[in-house]
Amino acid sequence: MEVLSLFFDGLLTAIQPYHLLLITFGGVLGTIVGMLPGLGPATGVAVLLPITFSMSPTAALITMAGVYYGAMFGGSRSSILINTPGDGAALAATFDGYPMAMNGKAESALAISAIASFIGGLISVFFLIALATPVAKFALKFGPAEYFLLMVAALSMTASMSKGNMVKGFISTLFGLIISTVGIDAQSGIPRFTFGILELQTGIDFLVVIIGLYALGEVFKAFKAINEGKKVPQKKFGKIWITKEEWRKTWLPILRSTPLGFVVGALPGAGGTMASLMAYNNEKQFSKNPDDFGKGEIVGLAAPEAANNAASVGAFIPMLTLGIPGSGTTAVMMGALLMLGIQPGPLLFTQHPDVAWGLIASMVIGNFVLAVVNIPMAGLLVRVLAVDAKILYPIVLGLAFVGTYAISSSVVDFFILIIFGVLGYFMEKIKIPTAPMILAVIVGGTMEQSFRQATRISNGSLGIFVESPLALALIAITIISVVYPAIKASLAKRKAKTV
Amino acid sequence: MKLNKKLISSMLSVALIGALALSGCASQSSSSTSAASSSSSSSSSETQTTVDYPKNAMEFIAPSGAGGGWDLTIRTVAKVLQDTSLVTVPMPVTNNSGGGGGVNLAYMQTQEGSDKLISVYSPPILLINLNGSSEYSYKETTPIARLITDYGAFVVPKDSPYKSIADVMDALKKDPKSVKIGGGSSAGSMDHIQFLIVAKAAGVTDLKDIDYISFQDGTATAQILGGHVDLLTTGLGDVQSLIESGDLIALAQTASDRVGEGALAEIPTCKEQGIDVTFENWRGLFGAPGMPDYAVEFWRDTLKKMTETDEWNAERAKHGWADAYMDKEDFESFLAEKNEEYKGILAEIGLLAE
Repeated sequence: MEVLSLFFDGLLTAIQPYHLLLITFGGVLGTIVGMLPGLGPATGVAVLLPITFSMSPTAALITMAGVYYGAMFGGSRSSILINTPGDGAALAATFDGYPMAMNGKAESALAISAIASFIGGLISVFFLIALATPVAKFALKFGPAEYFLLMVAALSMTASMSKGNMVKGFISTLFGLIISTVGIDAQSGIPRFTFGILELQTGIDFLVVIIGLYALGEVFKAFKAINEGKKVPQKKFGKIWITKEEWRKTWLPILRSTPLGFVVGALPGAGGTMASLMAYNNEKQFSKNPDDFGKGEIVGLAAPEAANNAASVGAFIPMLTLGIPGSGTTAVMMGALLMLGIQPGPLLFTQHPDVAWGLIASMVIGNFVLAVVNIPMAGLLVRVLAVDAKILYPIVLGLAFVGTYAISSSVVDFFILIIFGVLGYFMEKIKIPTAPMILAVIVGGTMEQSFRQATRISNGSLGIFVESPLALALIAITIISVVYPAIKASLAKRKAKTV
Repeated sequence: MKLNKKLISSMLSVALIGALALSGCASQSSSSTSAASSSSSSSSSETQTTVDYPKNAMEFIAPSGAGGGWDLTIRTVAKVLQDTSLVTVPMPVTNNSGGGGGVNLAYMQTQEGSDKLISVYSPPILLINLNGSSEYSYKETTPIARLITDYGAFVVPKDSPYKSIADVMDALKKDPKSVKIGGGSSAGSMDHIQFLIVAKAAGVTDLKDIDYISFQDGTATAQILGGHVDLLTTGLGDVQSLIESGDLIALAQTASDRVGEGALAEIPTCKEQGIDVTFENWRGLFGAPGMPDYAVEFWRDTLKKMTETDEWNAERAKHGWADAYMDKEDFESFLAEKNEEYKGILAEIGLLAE
């Protein structure tokens, strides 16, 4: 039981008062940056980077890790309360989290998101201890062809689960794919759809799209509601906790979503957004009442929340076992480790066991700390709903612009923001779902690159997409995700007829 | 109760406004931190000439994602400057990745005349312009100094059929499509070119037909580990830990004599294996176009001092970088010379932009 003793050594490192303080500091900072639209864990970690140079490698790593999973806790706060995801990974939390808040169940929503995050994060740390090596090996099976198919699977899942009809979901996806082609193409280096605007060479940042569609779209919607006198602030608030009934419904989805999130998070470049959307779709498929999803179904909030925290832990695997950054945030952490003279990679656990195990143990403690911090914090945050719309929405508007500027300090982004804000308002009006479009903007670039990488490897043959068992499995998942909801619906219809 | 509610909602608005301010600072991490540090910096920069520079935070840019060679170089420069107190203003490093460095080159054009932007570049600053992926050349920047040089390496998975660089070249001579080459830079840029230069020297003729697959954002290493490509062309230090662990095998390094310590020193050079060629990955610092003279002078002077410190030499040894310091004027003529040399190579392999 060498692993256990190493883990306890790590635990002893992590509970030193100085380290405990850093875990809490990182976690709370992460929660705050996660909450603010435009600022995500990558920004939070990057801001900390210069400070970490004066720390020991262990201290630096546990602080930055705290920011990372703290942001997963925080990101859904604004999703639930103002229908604006703080980051891509919190996108799925808007689907049912915000309707829950509108139904007067904000307390339950905030509580379950903290609880699901806690459970997902904690279990994943133990997965990390037990399964890091096999999962890393599995992740390496993903070549360009498999990446392409994984992204196709995620996109078709998201499109087919859309509220309303599937066709509208796919229209939204295609629109997102078009947006993702803007900018310099990596394989050829040629600028596309930039219209000579220099700022567009870097492409359209998905965060600007999210802030536009959600925050701005929400503001426009709210202004209309204010004029019609419909928007009434909530006056009374209950305790931030969930009922027994809610726990009975959610514990299994949380446990199911955790391993899914963990594995997707461990794939270099896949990340929390894909993990949470896939978990959401999964639970919708499993559910006896899929029609409740999108209307304030607590399961639809619990599942993605567990998955994105699990993904943030899984993202450490490529870094810790192979020295490859699994996400933008871990890439920054790797930079910090290199600066401190530690070479992350397969020898990390043998050369610097104190750093690796200190980090792992700190994540266990950090999840407890964040659960304890987040529940009372939610008690304060929920009162956002008590703020008059005439005060709240101008503040949201301000935050949206500041958050956008924070992404790349570009004024051009303001125009893009407004365009997507108006677009978001009209998409809502004609009931075209926005989530597929956002996912397409996020993964579209990589998806296209993967396709071209794969066909170059195969000398132009499409056979590469059906060569490996993994590729076939991904194709099967894609087909099921599109066909299954249709079959399920027609079966339900037939059943209704015969009864 | 009523009072309580008012109190809470006013607290909330204060909190939200605070949040506004906070998110504002994050982008311009200079604005808040520099205010605090400018008082301390003014005393140190009094020794400089008339202009009080640098007063505010610098904007150090790695034109790639965190963890790569550029990123490591500029972060090391920032760290040494800070540790030796040669520069006392904050030097936050940002990563402006994409287009093999072209995205940042385009960004630098928007910052014309800036006295705070400093970016690190290496051969790609010439290559991406010559191969047409960037419309801007090194002439649209302000070269400041060359600092170090690094070398390339060619690695294969541990179960690869290729046991030497000659095996790879023999296979390519028979069928240029038979070995799939992966790399981290875009097509026609450094990783690609360093391999083609060696292949050409080895006598491979159909250079244009060799498939090079570009993986950005650091995923190239995962692809070679997974065996999805046959050979990875990369920087010598970039996959050190995977070579030490035995997961990857380095077939050759591009230095003229073996460099590095430990596992790196065991990698044979191309020359040792009968291919008479080298490839240097030099790295230097560049300012925005039209960087003001006072700023250029300050950094020329400061970087010269830096390269003479023990701290810098210790860092160089740690990362296996050879000293290649060159002041602005020499660096500029070096760039012009290299630009012609790469131009010739690209033309030969049909990748030179019209």
